[in-house]
Amino acid sequence: MEIAPSAVQDEARQQVEEEALEALVGQYASTLYRVAFSILRNPSDAEDAVQEAFVRVLRHRDTLGEIRDHRVWLIRIVWNIVLDRKRRAKTRPETDDVAELARVLPADGLSAEQRAAAAQHRAHVLSCVDRLPTKEREVMVLSAFEELTSVEIASVLGITESSVRSRIFRARNLMADLLQHSRSLR
Amino acid sequence: MNSHSQKGLDLKSGLGSGAGAGDAEATLRLIAGLSAPLGLEERVKAALHEVPRSGSLLHWPAGPRSGWMQSTWARTAAAAAIVFVVAGGGWEVYSRVQPAEPPNAIALPPVAAHGGFSSANAIRTPRTLNGTVLTHPLAAPARPDAIAEKKQADRAKKPVKNGKAEATEPIAP
Repeated sequence: MEIAPSAVQDEARQQVEEEALEALVGQYASTLYRVAFSILRNPSDAEDAVQEAFVRVLRHRDTLGEIRDHRVWLIRIVWNIVLDRKRRAKTRPETDDVAELARVLPADGLSAEQRAAAAQHRAHVLSCVDRLPTKEREVMVLSAFEELTSVEIASVLGITESSVRSRIFRARNLMADLLQHSRSLR
Repeated sequence: MNSHSQKGLDLKSGLGSGAGAGDAEATLRLIAGLSAPLGLEERVKAALHEVPRSGSLLHWPAGPRSGWMQSTWARTAAAAAIVFVVAGGGWEVYSRVQPAEPPNAIALPPVAAHGGFSSANAIRTPRTLNGTVLTHPLAAPARPDAIAEKKQADRAKKPVKNGKAEATEPIAP
């Protein structure tokens, strides 16, 4: 049976797209996971968000060639997914997540007591981060990723670079006030 | 490069103040630096393979698989020929159908031939207005010099009072 040239071309194009998608997975899956985890603070939820992000990419694989910066584009996709999930799961108490996360964070070279104290301190810091206004909190979380520039953060959030800088400035001041206030209460 | 100078937003550059912000940034950086779980990429790839592929679009035209229509220039030529024929036909119809001119005279129906219907000697008479009928021919128009002579004769006939001619018409108050 004769195979149509168009069918052969489709097969070849599909093969190329799948290879490009797998390359994106290999290159950016861990970055997307960390972005998702920094907001969701749950390993399985973060992994689900990453998978959903790549499924969305698969559905729009025809436009892959038009994307200038795949990394920022992918971070933006997973960011939207994560915020959507966070919004839907807003009723869930986050205190348990914070304590769990603080225990997970690396504390090499510390004794057991120091590790427990560090975990407690980090849990407190994270709870203060959660009390920041949404806009400031989002910028502060994204700015923690060393590989993201202010221009890229602005692109992910859909705001201007100057807005990113002013928000990070306000976030730092608010964090300082919150932690100072909590220290004075002790 | 500009991007290198902006990495991580230069959080320790003195924006804001206090050790609290530094603590928060250090904690967030620890979170951001957490390694992804082992086998994440494989699981994501496996999930992508499980996603059902969407149906592919049929290519136009769905004609013979091996033929002259497979080449792009042939398709273009065929499309151009179709457009030419359609446009030419439209112009042909437009050029033949001209708007009807208003008639200069009313054309009477032809007299019926033998064996056909006749007009029964009916004659169309135009409607005319019933005006005054002249009993004698119109007089010739008066000559201007004759009018002047008549005026002069009338003026000579009028009586003269106190050296002045009588006013024939009262003066308006």
